[in-house]
Amino acid sequence: MGAHKPKRIGFKLDMTPLVDVAFLLLTFFMFTAKFKSEAESEQKFQIKRPVASPDTAKLPERGVALVKIGIDEKGDTLTYYAVISEKDRKSIYTAQGVDPAEANNAQVTVRDTVTLANLVLQTRRTNPKIKFMIDADKRVRYGRIEQVMNTFRAQGATLFNFVTVNRSQQG
Amino acid sequence: MAGADLGESSSKKKKGGGVKKPKRIGFKLDMTPLVDVAFLLLTFFMFATTMAQPQIMEMQVPPDITTPVEVAQSDLFTLYVSNKEHLFYNTGIDPTMRKIDIKDLKALAVQKNAERENDLITSLKVDPAASYATVVDILDELNLAEGELVDSYKEKNLKRERRFAITPITEEDKAELAKVDI
Repeated sequence: MGAHKPKRIGFKLDMTPLVDVAFLLLTFFMFTAKFKSEAESEQKFQIKRPVASPDTAKLPERGVALVKIGIDEKGDTLTYYAVISEKDRKSIYTAQGVDPAEANNAQVTVRDTVTLANLVLQTRRTNPKIKFMIDADKRVRYGRIEQVMNTFRAQGATLFNFVTVNRSQQG
Repeated sequence: MAGADLGESSSKKKKGGGVKKPKRIGFKLDMTPLVDVAFLLLTFFMFATTMAQPQIMEMQVPPDITTPVEVAQSDLFTLYVSNKEHLFYNTGIDPTMRKIDIKDLKALAVQKNAERENDLITSLKVDPAASYATVVDILDELNLAEGELVDSYKEKNLKRERRFAITPITEEDKAELAKVDI
């Protein structure tokens, strides 16, 4: 209490353990960091996913075909088709209706339901194991989703998924 | 002798550099800039990492068949979403459309299913003008109700068979909805 503390002159702290921990955490975050995918950097919008209760099913990193429906700055609804499977992508993008200029891109623009139907069919022919996902913006009208669902159904892809985001992690 | 030996071995290590460097005893390196940079990078990666990994909600649609399936009227439990994003429901026995809040849907779905066990067919009809977010909210509530039902069935040693479908909305449905949705 009343004891007079001596002034600490020339105080030196051994920073080695601190540096150890800092680098450990740094390497951890560096390896876990996920950056924007190639496909995401090509599109003109960011998808605001709808929220849902926490679920154990996470979006797989490979072997999926995503139908991305988003709204750009002008308020237009755009549809993209992205195949996340390196080996199958090229052959799927040869489907009729796809802009040949985009065939080497990570994802292609879908202009009409006929193109989408061709893409879905081509996907099922190339790799029947590919899982279909609808990754739509939450503000999109349901009519758009219904169109995609009907296309899936017509092409025999009766099992698919909606991409959502966990309620506790919504950003 | 010992001293000469030591000197020879150390000069060997230095591959005959010529100049004999003094041994660095009690060497101290100022680690502050290193720590600064390390923490800067650390904070960058911490903020850049997105922990929110998207999740998926499984959906199944009936295959494209042209022959309609006959179902008992009394087994039907239909949910309607109007173009104003309001939720309504009716049953095969009681066709009056009643408005319901989305957050009360879970309790209702559990109750309706408990009444009719595995026979109940839930269908969802959504107006194309409604937003996708509303549809996902409803599906989420139904999934939560489903979880509760599966648990309660397990206690009774019964197998739960889900009968759910998203069905296209008809013009008659829309007209009926317009009457009640003010």
